[in-house]
Amino acid sequence: MAEMLATDVVTEANSRLDGDDEVGAGESIRNVPPSEELLVQEGDAAGDYLERLLDLVDYDGDIDLDVEGGRAMVSIDGGADLAKLVGPRGTVLEALQELTRLAVQQQTGARSRLMLDIAQWRATRRDDLSELGRSIAQRVLDGGEPVRLQSMTPFERKIVHDAVAGVDGVRSESEGEEPQRCVVVSPTT
Amino acid sequence: MLADALEHLVRGIVDNPDDVRVQLVTTRRGRTLEVHVHPDDLGKVIGRGGRTATALRTVMGGIGGRGVRVDVVDTDR
Repeated sequence: MAEMLATDVVTEANSRLDGDDEVGAGESIRNVPPSEELLVQEGDAAGDYLERLLDLVDYDGDIDLDVEGGRAMVSIDGGADLAKLVGPRGTVLEALQELTRLAVQQQTGARSRLMLDIAQWRATRRDDLSELGRSIAQRVLDGGEPVRLQSMTPFERKIVHDAVAGVDGVRSESEGEEPQRCVVVSPTT
Repeated sequence: MLADALEHLVRGIVDNPDDVRVQLVTTRRGRTLEVHVHPDDLGKVIGRGGRTATALRTVMGGIGGRGVRVDVVDTDR
């Protein structure tokens, strides 16, 4: 089961979890952190933009706004129609996040890094990648050979690095250049 | 419904929302949503390397299914 899941996730690992250059393990490119007030304002603008979209296409969805880790988080949960806004491998979700960031920027005048999740897609993906990291770590422990995963976004790699870090006897590094950069898991000895 | 949704998505990202019009045109090749914006907003709707136009197409593809084209019409002629 873990093997199946791992394969599945690796195959999909090229899909971008988050729309642009993101915070990865030790790769944080952060200028001045946005104020809480701005982030709340971002969430409100995003909520208005998305709520109107849901109305127009007549999809059921509740929009939840939050501020987490220095960015606005917008989650939409509701009916089965929302799967259309996630799309294959989250492609529609990424596109909608991109547009929502632009709409927010239009309102606030500041570039937004807001994170959009729909139908818990990102949350689920995060769990899958953690599971992948743990199972690969175990495989490396058992086999003693390094394992190179498929290329991932910085955001995805960070999830895998964090999962591997929780297992004794293995370590992980990122290798290669974006967008082909990938996680390599090796034994520590 | 598709045209209204696209119009809303575009209005939100331009400087001149009142100048945004979206028309659904049906041809032998299928349905096309034609996006008209203020000439000054063309760059915003297309985006760097066409990134924004691609995002609009992807979202409309998700909502409307395959076979819905999105054309950003260059009115600056």
